[in-house]
Amino acid sequence: MSQRGGIAPYLQAAPLALVFLLFLVIPLAIIVMVSFWTYTDYSIQPAFEVQNYLDVFDRCIVRLPTLCTTFRTYLSTLTFCAIVWALTLVIGFTVAYFLAFEVRSPTVQSLLFLVCTIPFWTSNVIRMISWIPLLGRSGLVNQALIGLGLIDQPIEWLLYSSFSVTITFVHLFTFFMVVPIYNSMLRIDRSLIEAARDAGASGWQILWNVIVPLSKTGIAIGSIFVITIVMGDFITIGLMGGQQIASVGKTIQTEISYLQFPVAAANAVVLLGTVLLIIVGLTRVVDIRREL
Amino acid sequence: MTTSLKSGISRRTFLKTSAAAGAAAVGSGAVTGFPYVMAQEPVTLRYLGTAVNQSKEIAEKVKADLGITIEYVPVTTDEVTKRIITQPNTFDIVDTEYFSLKKLVPSGNLMGMDAKRIKEFDNITSVFTKGELDGKKIGDQGTAPWKVFYLAGNKSKEFSPTPTEWISLIPTTYNADTLGIRPDLIKRPIESWAELLNPEFKGKASILNIPSIGIMDAAMAVEASGAYKYPDKGNMTRDEIDMTIDKLIEAKQAGQFRALWSDFNESVNLMASGETVIQSMWSPAVTAVRAKGIDCVFQPLKEGYRAWASGFALPATLEGRKLDAAYEFVNWFLSGWAGAFLNRQGYYAAVLPTAQKEMATYEWAYWMEGKPAEQEIKSPMGDIIAPKGAVRDGGSFAQRMGSVACWNAVMDEDAYMVRKWNEFVAA
Amino acid sequence: MSETRGAAFYLLAAFFALFVLFLYGPTLTVLILSFQGPGGGLTFPMNGVSTHWFGVLWQGLGVVDVWAAFGRSFRLGLIVTVLTVVISVLAGLAFRRRFVGSTLLFYTAIASLILPSIVVSLGIALEFRIFDDFVKAHGLLGDGFHSAMGLFTSALGAHLTWTLPFGLLVMFVVFNRFNPAYEEAARDLGATPWQTFRHVVLPIIAPYLIGVALFGFTLSWDEIARTSQTVGGPNTLPLELQGLTTTVTNPAIYALGTLTTAVSFLVIALTLGTGLYLRRRRLRGASDAGKGTL
Repeated sequence: MSQRGGIAPYLQAAPLALVFLLFLVIPLAIIVMVSFWTYTDYSIQPAFEVQNYLDVFDRCIVRLPTLCTTFRTYLSTLTFCAIVWALTLVIGFTVAYFLAFEVRSPTVQSLLFLVCTIPFWTSNVIRMISWIPLLGRSGLVNQALIGLGLIDQPIEWLLYSSFSVTITFVHLFTFFMVVPIYNSMLRIDRSLIEAARDAGASGWQILWNVIVPLSKTGIAIGSIFVITIVMGDFITIGLMGGQQIASVGKTIQTEISYLQFPVAAANAVVLLGTVLLIIVGLTRVVDIRREL
Repeated sequence: MTTSLKSGISRRTFLKTSAAAGAAAVGSGAVTGFPYVMAQEPVTLRYLGTAVNQSKEIAEKVKADLGITIEYVPVTTDEVTKRIITQPNTFDIVDTEYFSLKKLVPSGNLMGMDAKRIKEFDNITSVFTKGELDGKKIGDQGTAPWKVFYLAGNKSKEFSPTPTEWISLIPTTYNADTLGIRPDLIKRPIESWAELLNPEFKGKASILNIPSIGIMDAAMAVEASGAYKYPDKGNMTRDEIDMTIDKLIEAKQAGQFRALWSDFNESVNLMASGETVIQSMWSPAVTAVRAKGIDCVFQPLKEGYRAWASGFALPATLEGRKLDAAYEFVNWFLSGWAGAFLNRQGYYAAVLPTAQKEMATYEWAYWMEGKPAEQEIKSPMGDIIAPKGAVRDGGSFAQRMGSVACWNAVMDEDAYMVRKWNEFVAA
Repeated sequence: MSETRGAAFYLLAAFFALFVLFLYGPTLTVLILSFQGPGGGLTFPMNGVSTHWFGVLWQGLGVVDVWAAFGRSFRLGLIVTVLTVVISVLAGLAFRRRFVGSTLLFYTAIASLILPSIVVSLGIALEFRIFDDFVKAHGLLGDGFHSAMGLFTSALGAHLTWTLPFGLLVMFVVFNRFNPAYEEAARDLGATPWQTFRHVVLPIIAPYLIGVALFGFTLSWDEIARTSQTVGGPNTLPLELQGLTTTVTNPAIYALGTLTTAVSFLVIALTLGTGLYLRRRRLRGASDAGKGTL
């Protein structure tokens, strides 16, 4: 690291800081402020009331152990988060490992990597709609299974279910896990692995004791991507869950579309708090900044 | 009107030659009542609304007739209201629904339109102006258009109970909604809204996930089942909301709904693919399913229809040349061509006499009079949607609009209702 | 590494192949369905085979002018890409040294990533609303002023809050692996800071910048949630497509998907070709400065 401080780093960081100030910090401050306002059907009025927060947690304590809407919604979203995180981690790690350690030519590496990015250029909306003909009651999968004589009745839970939501999430976000892990793995000094092998470590031992710890940063970053996107999602859960599965994002979106900005803002603040807690937990395990 | 002079030319020929004859068309417009178009520089109107009324054909025709460029901004239903409130300066004309006026007008972001500048104003159907059809009162539960039709002044934030010169929304289209069914899969007559919650259709029913509309469909079903009679389905009390949502939750937990749908396309796909056999639906969605050769009926039910209506509004800040152009466009819209275009999609036009002039007799008889089709009925895009001899579901205009039970609405307990609806979705 | 391919390689290769198949599954469905017959719908079964929907697409989807939206999204994507690369590189350089507020800035970037998009969007919309009202109340920008909101103001800002954290994280990865010895060598040889950056640093980080650019463009191209409240007037392509779902949608949107995929393949082939060309040129140029880091 260079020791010279001076004015240069401030100038270099200024554009970034400016963008975040204008488009993140100020808007966020407005949101927090608005979460204490009151509202009518058509307008929001400055005030300082905690009513919006009380509405968010309406009857949450008195109804225990029965879960209230908010708790139930968070539980459902967190469950998806956990399942999708586990799946994307396992798949993402395996794919990244293959790309980083088993493919030898850097050109082939880049090529395969890019092949994985292409599906992401087709609009999300189109890609999600296209799952329906695949998984529907008379979709390709059901037709194939019936054709093979494996089932007589179409499987109902393929579409508009937790299953279809999970598979779509995994489909959309595994790559967000692959990228940072792959990056971390590329940085691992190959001589470390040679050394471990020379010292008599088995393949699994190398994987577990050398590669996994050294990929920790990538895993943490990938996890942050996946967890935050799933926590805030409402489009995928809505579309693939047949609109019957609640998500925090969808709740906020419904409230916004009914112009209930303050209560939406209150919900957003609660969501933000929850996500921050998870992230702080993660950064306890890995100091991302130092290890990047 | 311009259009009556051109009625001899078929649309197809017209479109074909429109590029070359653009100038001539504007010229003919100049002769027949829009002389000021020529003198002005070209103007573009940003037209915000759902894609439902935003046809390329309409934009092309407007360009040819008036020289006005229409720039469509298609968004989802929820989004229209939201943009009017949060981004009122980003459009020049908006096509929105009457029920949302209760939120929009008090915001002061829209202006009342001057009835004196609307040529066909006196010919707008009495459904809007009086809430009557052939002298017969129409069901007025919910936010019926005539309750929010007049404003107290040009830039007023209040409705006027008595007629004034200032109109909140100049109507474009309206329709009566009911349940769509797949008769080939149900195989028995469906006569009541109660069937929506009938366990016989477990896992094959669907309801609309737009809370304010979905809860009214649910209320129609609850009332039809005889469980409760609502004083006003469009304005429920907290207890009524609780009870209705509880019924929905019960049905949901029993697996009644295959999915909830929130946009046109989803509703078409659900029905077309057989994922559902009975669901709340919109008329053109039924037409779209049928255009695929799949049997689908927009089933008239004994309890009546849930109606909706939409119309044009202008942002309060619109002025000068754009304001004039907006009035020109609205006048053009009511002058017949667009009305016929909408009628052929299964909607109803606001000014019926001008629309009738633009439709063939057999078309008018099929769409409006409920008579059997004398020829094949085609959509404006040219798809065959009804064979010779077919009769429109629900019959004539008077039969359908006359049986309206309630209108799409914004309730006084809107915030509470939305919260309860979220509970239903989360259950 | 072992010289011969072990069983692990084939197992992993098979896994990777399955993963790619999984990734492309919907793309394939889109590809097949885009060749639906004129009477076909959005779902199976196929109703004949034709290129009818490509024709419809070519005429702008028959409903609204989808190509205009395509153009808007593309221009916005390009600007977002350029700004993301430039701002990320600058910030990456800044973070190599100590400066007051660096931790705060870092966590702001992370926060930008984890904030639910719809919240960011709403906040920006409210902010511009307040700004508009202020400007109009004081008549600052003349009578013609309606709104500062637009594709290249509020929507651009919203997109940047989404792409910049990704760009920054990649730059961290790049610079933490960067050996300062090269720069010191250049400085010792009398290079100015600019010369050092231009001739030493930039060539080494160039391949990663292509990555940042791809990321930036892809994220911007697909963005819905953050754009929805901030777009101002005309829609971006994804919003336009979402708006279209309120009316009869036909397989032409699949044709659009197929076309996008085809164009993507083309762009990536070009990018890859350029990358290879750059590397070959660099190797020929007798400078092996970047070799160790690639």
